[in-house]
Amino acid sequence: MNDVAVIGAGMTVFQRRLKETGKELSYLATKMALEEAGITKKDIDMVVMGSAPDAFDGIHQKGENLLDGAAGAGKPYVRVFNGGGTGVFAPIAGWWHVASGVADIALVVCEEKMGNCYPHPQTAFRHIWDPILDRPLAPNLVWLFAMEMNRYMTKYNIKKEDIARVAVKNKRNAVGHPCAQLPDEKITIEDVLNSEMMAWPVQRLDISPPSDGASALILCSKDKVRQFTDDPVWVDGVGWNIDSTMWTNRDLCFPRYVANAARMAYKMAGIHNPRKDIDFAEPYDPFDYKELHHMEGLLLCNKGEAPILTREGVTERDGDMPMCPSGGLMGVGNPIAATMGQKVCELYWQLAGKAGKRQIPGDPLVGVGQAWGDIMQMATVAVLRRG
Amino acid sequence: MTFLEKQTDPTTPMHWNGDMQADYFYSNGVAGDKFFKHLMKKDTFLASMCPECGVVFIPPRLYCEDCFCGIPDENWVEVKAQGVIRTNTTAMMDAHNEPLEEPVVMALIEIDETDGAMLGRIKTDMLGMDLTGMMVKAKLRPKKEREGTMKDILYFEPY
Ligand SMILES: [Zn+2]
Repeated sequence: MNDVAVIGAGMTVFQRRLKETGKELSYLATKMALEEAGITKKDIDMVVMGSAPDAFDGIHQKGENLLDGAAGAGKPYVRVFNGGGTGVFAPIAGWWHVASGVADIALVVCEEKMGNCYPHPQTAFRHIWDPILDRPLAPNLVWLFAMEMNRYMTKYNIKKEDIARVAVKNKRNAVGHPCAQLPDEKITIEDVLNSEMMAWPVQRLDISPPSDGASALILCSKDKVRQFTDDPVWVDGVGWNIDSTMWTNRDLCFPRYVANAARMAYKMAGIHNPRKDIDFAEPYDPFDYKELHHMEGLLLCNKGEAPILTREGVTERDGDMPMCPSGGLMGVGNPIAATMGQKVCELYWQLAGKAGKRQIPGDPLVGVGQAWGDIMQMATVAVLRRG
Repeated sequence: MTFLEKQTDPTTPMHWNGDMQADYFYSNGVAGDKFFKHLMKKDTFLASMCPECGVVFIPPRLYCEDCFCGIPDENWVEVKAQGVIRTNTTAMMDAHNEPLEEPVVMALIEIDETDGAMLGRIKTDMLGMDLTGMMVKAKLRPKKEREGTMKDILYFEPY
């Protein structure tokens, strides 16, 4: 396999409802990434588009609709998607384009335009369930995640305030992110605990907002990378894993599919002790409890230990193991696939020293990003390393 | 006070108002047919047991996803329509993010004598609290009104 480096990234502003179409958002993110890498469309060998359910944008097979904005016209182009896992899966697909040797430079673009769907993008999630067993009960995803959150809290005796602390940290971290939808430097745990109850124990401020947005990433083979930089950031390991769709048969307190994906990525990256070898992480945080759940799934701490480490400040930007220094989905926003911007582009910006006000102190060397999707079953993991 | 994001009017930018209308008849499937035909006549559930690993699936399945073998007819077993709550929520909002008229208590119920769990609504006044470990049994529609869908299970209730 060829070694794969990142040479550019881009990200649009994230907002609840943007005027731009999906392809215009794709164009803006792609243009930024091309400019950062110092290349043009003609230098791109292949394009990967990541975009989650068609029902958000409201265009069946939306990959084809988006392609001209993603520099895909006239090129080998493919869309990949696995729900919320897409934001890290699309760069994994880009990685294999380059690692396999079929492309020297691959562009990865992720887009989501949830604002097209009304009255609320949650509406689209009514149709992801098993039509025979689940849909007649009319559940929605917030209810499902509420059950998982309760299971996690009950199993490990976790207080709600220790979960709310994640929302506070990430919304504060998002201050200074130029794309952020919900930065808030004054938010408190009480604000979260006093926010509207959506589905007990999930309250409004436990959830990231739906958003419109796009992000882009440019991957380059080892053979070509010295043309662009003397200090590359490498994609050192990738992993993905999916658990059974029969989610009712799972314990819900530990995401074993995340651990499987993490082990695959760590093995490839030569990481034997993730707690020591990894300097910071971008675990997927569409809900505050998910950051904790995923820290444990990524084997960065023991089961049930993530809330304690968070309370002790270990996961703050200046802590020993920063989590979501970008501000995550909770602070920057959650245009599903486009969260590649926080989960992978952020790793690159941090490792390349380009994260501006969000820069982690101490010159981090290794970061891990992760996404999660489908019906609580899909995990996608990428490890990036500087030098 | 922090910013609480609510609905934002999607009609603010210039737009065209469209839809993606399509309607469906979803097949119950072979295992589903068997489960629901049983449920129309009896007050119990059918489950199916893998001949290789012994896992008992509820709702029953035609195959074991781990051993990847078929489950023969003689491995279908009748179990009580009851179980224990593994986790629950009290929903206050619907899928359109609008308040529900009545809160809905929904739970994941580990069905007795099986290795599986089912999603179900719970009839209870205990709103907004953890019900883990509560023993519940299914309240089914009267037999002559059953249609062979999940709607035949009206709710689960403590016993
Ligand atoms: Zn088996």
